[in-house]
Amino acid sequence: MPTLKPTHPAVPQIVPTGKLRHLTTREVIPSTNNPRHLFDPDQLLELKKNIGEHGVLVPITVYQAKGQAKFSILDGERRFRCVVELEEEGRGGKDGVPLTLPANVVEPPTKIAGLLYMFSIHNYREGWELMPTALSLKIVMEDLGTTDNKALGKLTGLSDAQIERCKKLLKFPEKFQEMSLDVNPKTRIPPNFWIEALPVLDLALETSEPLRKLGRGRATEKLVDKYRDKKIKSVIHFRRIMESYELSEDDPPTKAKVLRRVEEFFLNPKLETRDGFDEFVVEKKRVQSALSACEGFLLQLQKFKLTYTTNEDERRNLRKALHDVQAYCESLEHALEGSDDPEAQQD
Amino acid sequence: MRWLIHSVRAALRCRGYKPQPLSWLSASRWIKQFDKKDQALAERLLSNVIYLSESTTREVLLEQNAILMKRLKEAGLPAKNLIYVSVHEAGSSSPVMLNLLRDGAFLEKLGCKLIDGRDTLNLVKAMNELGEGALIYVDDFVGSGNQFCTERDFISQNFVGTFSEFMLAPSICEEAFAKMDERGIQAFAGHKHVKAERPLHPESDVFDEKDRLRVAAICKGIDRFGLGYKGLATMVVLYRNAPNTVPVMLRGNVNQKPYFGIFPRTIDLPIPSG
Repeated sequence: MPTLKPTHPAVPQIVPTGKLRHLTTREVIPSTNNPRHLFDPDQLLELKKNIGEHGVLVPITVYQAKGQAKFSILDGERRFRCVVELEEEGRGGKDGVPLTLPANVVEPPTKIAGLLYMFSIHNYREGWELMPTALSLKIVMEDLGTTDNKALGKLTGLSDAQIERCKKLLKFPEKFQEMSLDVNPKTRIPPNFWIEALPVLDLALETSEPLRKLGRGRATEKLVDKYRDKKIKSVIHFRRIMESYELSEDDPPTKAKVLRRVEEFFLNPKLETRDGFDEFVVEKKRVQSALSACEGFLLQLQKFKLTYTTNEDERRNLRKALHDVQAYCESLEHALEGSDDPEAQQD
Repeated sequence: MRWLIHSVRAALRCRGYKPQPLSWLSASRWIKQFDKKDQALAERLLSNVIYLSESTTREVLLEQNAILMKRLKEAGLPAKNLIYVSVHEAGSSSPVMLNLLRDGAFLEKLGCKLIDGRDTLNLVKAMNELGEGALIYVDDFVGSGNQFCTERDFISQNFVGTFSEFMLAPSICEEAFAKMDERGIQAFAGHKHVKAERPLHPESDVFDEKDRLRVAAICKGIDRFGLGYKGLATMVVLYRNAPNTVPVMLRGNVNQKPYFGIFPRTIDLPIPSG
C-alpha cells in the first residue's frame, strides 16, 4: 500500500480482518496491473529458490471482493508468481503436499484506498494509459477535495508534470475523453493528442474570430477529423504550430501570417501540419543556425590569436581560406540586402 | 432415405434460426451438395450441432442470472450494486442478450445498472458512485475469449472500487473459461462447450480419426479457416446467429457461394437484389 499521510482524515487505511489463510494459487487472482519491470529476474530467481526450499514464510496480503470466490492480491505478487512457477516446474511442496501461500486477509479496500494503491503500482508500470490515470486522479480530487499539485503528488506519487498532463486531459469535454478510451486501438485517439492540441486550440480561439464563432467543441472536432484523415501525421506536429508562433513573436508580419495559417489549418481539412507550418519553423531555424554559426566562427578564430605565422605555405593557405570565406560572406550579405523575398526582387 | 430423416430432424430441432429459416428441404439441399460418399458425414456433423433456440436462450439466461443474483445477495450485494455490461458493439449479440435479460428479469425495476461496455466513462461513473458491487458481462456465446479478455483488460485500467466480475452467457467454450478464470471472472453458463463434444476438434473422439480428418479436409477445401476462428470447431448455434467459430461447412462461404451453409452467419448472406 502507498504510504498515506496519517494526519489526513479523508484517506482511509487498509483494515485487517485478523484472518490468516493458506491459499493455493488457484484461489488467488494475480494483479493484472503489476509492473513487470519491478520483477528483477535475478531477484525473482533467488526468491523462487528460497521458496522452493523453505516455502513462503512472509504472508501475502489479500482481500476478497463481495461475491468473488477468489482472493485478490494487494501485496505479494512476486511470492505468488514464484509459487506458480514452482508448480509449473513440478516442484511442489515437501512430501507431495502442494505449496500454499500464507495470506493475511484484509477488508476490501475502500474506493480511495484502492485508487491510491493503484497509483502506487502504476508509478512503476510502463504502458499505463494516461486517460485512466487522469480519470482516477479526477476521482481523488473530487473525493478528497483538493486540486493542489503538491498534495496530489504526495498522495499519488505522480510528478507535477504528470498531474499537469492529467489536468490538461480533464479540460476536454467527456465526449473527447471517451475517444481515448475506445477499446479499438485503430480508432482510439492517443491521450497525447489532447495534450499537444490544447495550446494550439487556446491560441486559435484567442486569435481567430471565425474559430471563436465556431466554438471550442467544433474546433476540437476539426482537429480530430484532421488526425483521423492523417492530415496530422503525428501529435508532435502540433508543436510546429506553437513553435512557428513563438519564433514569429518579434516579427509582426510573420506573426500575422502564422495566425492566418493557424486559422486556415482549422478550416481547411486538406492542409497538413507540416505543409502549413514547416516554412516558418524551417526558415527561422536556418537563420538562427546561420547566426550561431557566424558567432561560433568568429569566436573560434579569435581564440587562435593568429596575427602572424613563420611558415610561408601555411600563411598562403590560410589567406586563401579567409579570402574564400570573405567572398562567400560578401555574396551572402549582398543577397540578403533589401526585401526579404528574393522572388519579389527578381520581379 | 436417410438424408430425409436427418433433414426433417434438423428442421424440427433447429426451428427459428433467424438469419435463414431452416426447413427439411433446405437441410436436404445442404446435405446433397456434398459428394455422395461425404453426405453421411455431413449428416453426422449436423446431428452434433447444439442448437439454442430463442426460448432456450432466454430460459438459460434467466436461470443463470437468478442463481447469480441470489449468490450476490447472500454475499451482501443487493441488485442496486450490480452493473450489467454488454461487451461488444451495438448490433452484436451482447446488447440483444442484455435487453432480453433486462425485460425478463426486470433488471431496471430492481435497480440494476445497464451499461454498454464501450461507454467506459459511464461505466467508471457507475463504479465510482457505487464503490463496491459486481460487474456482470452478458453475451450469447463466448468462444476463445480472446476478444472479450482483450477489451476487458483495456477497460479494466479504469476500474474504480471493489467489484467482482462475472460472465453470463447461455454457452461458453472451455477455452474461455480458463482465460476468464485467470482474471478472476467467474462464468455463469448454462452450457460449458467442451472440446470433447466438437466432432472436428483434434481432442474429440465423436468421429473416428479418419472421418474427422475427411470432414476437416472438406472444410479447409471450402475456406482455409475451415474449422472456424482459431480452429475452435465449435458446434453451438444460437437462434440469432452462428458464431464465427463453427466449421465453415455449416456456415457456407461468404455470399453462400460456391458452398451454401445450413446455418449461414448474417454477414455471410448475400444482399438481396433490388
